[in-house]
Amino acid sequence: MATKTPDQISEDLLRPLSGFSPRYLISLAILLIIVTAAGYAFGAQIYSGLGLAGINRPVFWAFYITNFVFWIGLSHAGTLISAILRLCNATWRRPVTRCAEVITVFALSIGAMFPVIHLGRPWLAFWLFPYPSERGIWPNIRSPLLWDFFAINTYLIGSVTFLLLPIIPDLALIRDTATGTRQRIYRVLALGWRGTSKQWHRLETAMHIMAIAIIPVAVSVHSIVSWDFAMAPVPMWHSTIFAPYFVAGAIFSGIAALIIAMACLRQFLHLEDYLLPIHFENLGKLLFVMSLLWFYFVFSERLTGWYGNESAEMTVFWLTQRGAFSPLFWTMVFCNFIILFPFLAIKKLRTITGVVIASVAVVVGMWLERFLIIVPSLAHKYLAYSWGSYRPTWTEITITVGTFAAMCALYMIFAKIVPIISVWELKAGLHPVQQASHALPQPDEVRAE
Amino acid sequence: MATLNSIYGLFPDPDSADRGMRALRAAGVGANQIVVMSPQPFEEFEFAQMDRKTPMPWIAALGGLIGGVSGYLLAWYTQVAYPLPINTGGMPIVAKWPTGIVTYELTMLGAIIATVIVLLITGRLLHWKFDLYDPEISQGKILIGVTDPQDAARADLEDRLRRAGAESVKNTRRSSAA
Amino acid sequence: MARQWGMAIDLDRCTGCEACVVACHAENNISTVGEKEAARSRAKHWIRVERYYEGDFPDVKVKFMPVLCQQCGTAPCEPVCPTFASYHTEEGLNGQVYNRCIGTRYCANACPYNVRFFNFFNPIWDKPLNLQLNPDVSVREVGVMEKCTFCVQRIKAGEIQAQAEKREVRDGEITPACVQSCPTQAMVFGDLNDPDSQVSRLARSSRGTKLLAEVGTNPKVTYLQQDSWHGDENA
Repeated sequence: MATKTPDQISEDLLRPLSGFSPRYLISLAILLIIVTAAGYAFGAQIYSGLGLAGINRPVFWAFYITNFVFWIGLSHAGTLISAILRLCNATWRRPVTRCAEVITVFALSIGAMFPVIHLGRPWLAFWLFPYPSERGIWPNIRSPLLWDFFAINTYLIGSVTFLLLPIIPDLALIRDTATGTRQRIYRVLALGWRGTSKQWHRLETAMHIMAIAIIPVAVSVHSIVSWDFAMAPVPMWHSTIFAPYFVAGAIFSGIAALIIAMACLRQFLHLEDYLLPIHFENLGKLLFVMSLLWFYFVFSERLTGWYGNESAEMTVFWLTQRGAFSPLFWTMVFCNFIILFPFLAIKKLRTITGVVIASVAVVVGMWLERFLIIVPSLAHKYLAYSWGSYRPTWTEITITVGTFAAMCALYMIFAKIVPIISVWELKAGLHPVQQASHALPQPDEVRAE
Repeated sequence: MATLNSIYGLFPDPDSADRGMRALRAAGVGANQIVVMSPQPFEEFEFAQMDRKTPMPWIAALGGLIGGVSGYLLAWYTQVAYPLPINTGGMPIVAKWPTGIVTYELTMLGAIIATVIVLLITGRLLHWKFDLYDPEISQGKILIGVTDPQDAARADLEDRLRRAGAESVKNTRRSSAA
Repeated sequence: MARQWGMAIDLDRCTGCEACVVACHAENNISTVGEKEAARSRAKHWIRVERYYEGDFPDVKVKFMPVLCQQCGTAPCEPVCPTFASYHTEEGLNGQVYNRCIGTRYCANACPYNVRFFNFFNPIWDKPLNLQLNPDVSVREVGVMEKCTFCVQRIKAGEIQAQAEKREVRDGEITPACVQSCPTQAMVFGDLNDPDSQVSRLARSSRGTKLLAEVGTNPKVTYLQQDSWHGDENA
């Protein structure tokens, strides 16, 4: 990377923005067809009722809420990780931050749709907004769903601005190099960025403040998502450990998603010179640490439950441990923990391929984790007479697959509009004094006449 | 595209930009007349230190305070506003814990929005019409210039910029004056 | 002091005949969902008779337990509702306002008794059931939660009648459909704030237990029994 000149950086990173390859168009079309199918499934569900989904009494929440937690969790990939790396001034972050922040914005938007998709009367979802209405009644602040509303909105606004602010200088760069309609569009999008030293200084100050503000918001978002469960007296939900457990899990799955996204970008956009093995290795190490942390939380949760030996809790405990849900449970442990040891602990296997395999396993495992938190507890809640089970329907499966397709499609479209790696931040990383300047006095020769 | 009287030089690298800046200062040009534009931040160089200390963190904190207060008021009002204040699940009408959560989220939202607004306003963004700009900046050039130079001084300033290492020096005049 | 409606159910008297279930369906316009949906566990019975078996074949004793909304004092279903569809009335009932419900089903998850029901589809009544709909009870559309109301329409009617006759509501005057239809009079309904009412006396009985008391919901339904279910220290 250090061998690249600023001009080469501009050229390499702006190249993906011009033109469409047939491969791009075909895959985008396939993705959009899947998204349309999901939209049709949702429409059918609105038309006939939520009965099209597999939910029943007592399993009132299943795939949709699993997806909600999963996507909100994935959204912790970006903003949180990028904010931490920015604050630590980790220089290797430069090519990583933007593609991470994009994951946040899209995963969060997709995740935030699920509480609406799962509503019995989704056309009334706006009743969650606190606004003076003719009904004379406000939403109930005591409901964790309202906390979700506030937290997700704050996080969404925060992460969208966190993503967009450092894009502005790159949009100005495109404005200055593009011609015709493209130039006119980017002229508007660049918001009149000129790159005065005042603008640069203010931008960096703003990013610093945003990074400080967004970390506690991200933590609060997934804590609140966990409180959707922990506030209800349901066996294995009503647990004090849930908030940190969910936050750790969210960061865990977020890093995995980021690694997968980076590997795809590297492969398809030919960014081999920018997304280097060192990035995958560093993120792989981080993933491994989070895996250990995740296991620690699962272990503490299970251990406490087991010693508490409360009958309703133990019913759910054994249901996942060796009952009907145990195949899924042990698959989850394998994907989230065991498989990471060979691929991430052994240096020889910690290649890009190895790290990506581990990440795919983690994404699958974390989806299962959310499913296993939600469904077994509801299925075997207290009175044995009303126990139930759950099986997804095609409606739920289509919508679930559709959101994955939507994520990929949004990512592909975004990478055509904005350079997916921050051009100016990479260029700023070229100055040799950059790293030293924060700790050491400036070398005299820089200022010499 | 300029609508401003100015004279500026485009420098190929930060070291020459630093020299250009010093040359302008030596010519007695005031700090408020000097314009610096660059394709990326050069915070470690002298020429980029043209900004005053910004109160942005304090305004962000103020925004957080306003957000927090309005969050608390919103949570409080929505709980007591219903004509028949209703107790749910044995909780008090104004329940502290959930009110705290809403207050917290809106505090952070207030801080974030305040930061963005301050950036947009004080960074002079959202002004799409440029009084002074050169697209060559995006080719990696650093612009060091003087706004409203005295006509008599133009030749001298041009000379100084060139000697400092400017690749090209351009004069602009307000279009109405032309 | 406002009335606090409560119920006592004598399990020693319950024969498991399910007359209460039928009466409840008829009184409260509860639609039947059909075989297919019922097999998918979507049947709606605001009151159900749970069957539990004790002992091994052939020495089996069957136990019946009617379970309906326990109208909890600190109900887990209430605070989780974002739209106040589930709320607490002055008379201690867990109200459910159908028109406010947007169908998050959060209340149903929070309910430890699984006595909240969701309309997975719009309700339909097979002929001639459509002719016997109760005009005092609203029908619920798709996507809305519903649950036992202690027959709030009967409570209101009784209170209005008493008010018109300028007197207090007499104990036993108001009966929900299930109580009215119980052939063994296993169910008793009344005001828990009136210490002399029959339900108050039964609630204080040493045979009384609360269902899932350990969850801390303060239910207003007392189950009475004199057997080995919850230990026989009261025998």
